[in-house]
Amino acid sequence: MSIIMKNIIKSFGTPPTTILKGVSGEIKDGEVVAITGRSGSGKSTLLYIISSLDKPTSGDVIVDSQSLTQMAQSDIHKFRNQKMGFVFQFHHLLPELNALENVLMPTLKSNSSDAFKEYALELLNEFGIGDKANSLPSQLSGGEQQRVAVARALIMKPKILFADEPTGNLDTANGQLVMNLFMRINRARGTTIVFVTHDQLFAQSATRQLNMVDGLIV
Amino acid sequence: MYFLAIRHLLSRKKQTLLTLLGIVLGATAYIAISGMMLGFQTFIIDQLVNNDSHIRVKAREEMLTVRSLDKAFFESEVLVDWIKAPSGRKDNAYILAPGKWLDRLVMDERISAVSPQLVAQGIATYGKVSIGVSLVGSDPERQKAVTNIESAMLQGKFSDIGNSGNRIAVGDELLKKIGATKGETILLTAGKGLPQPFRIAAVFHLGVKSLDETRVFGALRDIQRLNQTPSRISDIAVRLKDVNLASDLASTYNLIGQEKVQSWDQANEGTMSVFTTQDIVRNSMTISILIVAGFGIYNILSLAVTHKRREIAILRSMGFEPKDITRLFLIQGLILGFFGGLLGVALGFAVSFGMSKMQVSGDRSLGGNHMIVSFDYAIYVKAFVLALASSAFASFLPARAAGRMEPIDIIRGEAS
Repeated sequence: MSIIMKNIIKSFGTPPTTILKGVSGEIKDGEVVAITGRSGSGKSTLLYIISSLDKPTSGDVIVDSQSLTQMAQSDIHKFRNQKMGFVFQFHHLLPELNALENVLMPTLKSNSSDAFKEYALELLNEFGIGDKANSLPSQLSGGEQQRVAVARALIMKPKILFADEPTGNLDTANGQLVMNLFMRINRARGTTIVFVTHDQLFAQSATRQLNMVDGLIV
Repeated sequence: MYFLAIRHLLSRKKQTLLTLLGIVLGATAYIAISGMMLGFQTFIIDQLVNNDSHIRVKAREEMLTVRSLDKAFFESEVLVDWIKAPSGRKDNAYILAPGKWLDRLVMDERISAVSPQLVAQGIATYGKVSIGVSLVGSDPERQKAVTNIESAMLQGKFSDIGNSGNRIAVGDELLKKIGATKGETILLTAGKGLPQPFRIAAVFHLGVKSLDETRVFGALRDIQRLNQTPSRISDIAVRLKDVNLASDLASTYNLIGQEKVQSWDQANEGTMSVFTTQDIVRNSMTISILIVAGFGIYNILSLAVTHKRREIAILRSMGFEPKDITRLFLIQGLILGFFGGLLGVALGFAVSFGMSKMQVSGDRSLGGNHMIVSFDYAIYVKAFVLALASSAFASFLPARAAGRMEPIDIIRGEAS
């Protein structure tokens, strides 16, 4: 599933500060793309716009031949649930649910938790935390929590996985573990992966880098 | 969403329990206060309805005017200038055409019984003690069909007064005051003629002190003779098949003839207005308690919404819609309201039951010696609905605020 960015401009505040100054480009189906750049370069803003969590001030994003700016809100919610997965810097697991229940959360939207339970356990086993299925987030290490968050992002078998600084809160070993996981998912499932990072080492794992400077891809 | 809502509530056990307690106490207070007040009201209404008739047709008292007596003394053209103008009440009031009234009432299918009466004021004397009394002359069998006087008899039967023979039924309080007992003879006068001896044939206890101290029942003919108004009646007591029709029926009959027709509730307007005031106080008090409980829910959910901002963002990024998030918090409020209401109903019943076993008086006039508590199911339904409704109302605003949160705003907030 490809993503086409058409002259995306994003401004905030009054008087408006322009963060993205006309970003265009394409992320092809099955690519692993790292968006890099300094703080304030607009890399996270771009990620949230192409992943439908934010709206551009002008311009358009075409995902799977559908314009995100033209899509009805209800369709966007469905699209997010079934075609996209998200991983954040702070893994944001629900503290009152155990690892397995956290992974199954997206399936609640379509009332299909039972059907996905086996797959959820498979994912946890694949990520080396199968024995932690019944543990609460507070009983897991930072690396384990992030792996649960990745499993949660993958449970609906999305076509694209978006990640904002997925290694930002992890030590190098755990960061590498997560990056290896991404590459494995991409190879095994053909999932398009777009992630933001300021760590050059991890960015080099991607098939392509989009380097942002002052709101533009250079 | 129920699954997650329950988990959210369980993760904040202390706050959940405290909020639940607020709702439980609100519902319990409503049930206990309502049960007590309605129990009292039901008892008083029962006394008012059953100790007297449902409807009473009374002779209208006519007052003398300046011109009332002109024609009695002078030609119609003469203009009389009275030195002291006629004033006051016209003789003793009596129903002008009692036969017509009785026929009319007996024909009415909504009426189950009628009892013509002569009510007059009198004085009862026993030895050296004299007390003002209210004399009621009636046919004992008809009177029994109109009120539940028979069930209030302490000694003898109401029918012992017969249809003549100067026998009377008196209240136990009156007997205490004058010092007489059943079987003895007392003197009665209605203010006209010489006092006549009447034998106490029966003793009753209606439970209303003012009646038990003053009311004397006798045969219609005996009281008419004592009052020197033979064949006259002043009242017709009416019993209805359905007491709820009393007010409407009385208002309709009031349009016919000169007589005044009043239902039991119209006649006791003062008491009924006290009940209305009681209801207002009861409802305001309960609503205040539930508002406080509602604020508890509002508070706990508002805090939860702020506390769960990151989770809301995550849920939204997973494709959950604003209405799903609103539902997540609304369900929490409703769960609190549902279980709070349910526990409140159970505790309210237990408290009411406990109160109904409390001894408050040895006097039969208070419905035995226990507190009278109403267990009307409507109180419990109302308490439950109020608990649920106040919870839904209180959780609506924080739930809506949660639904309106945009994930990107939360994520940006986290980043900054």
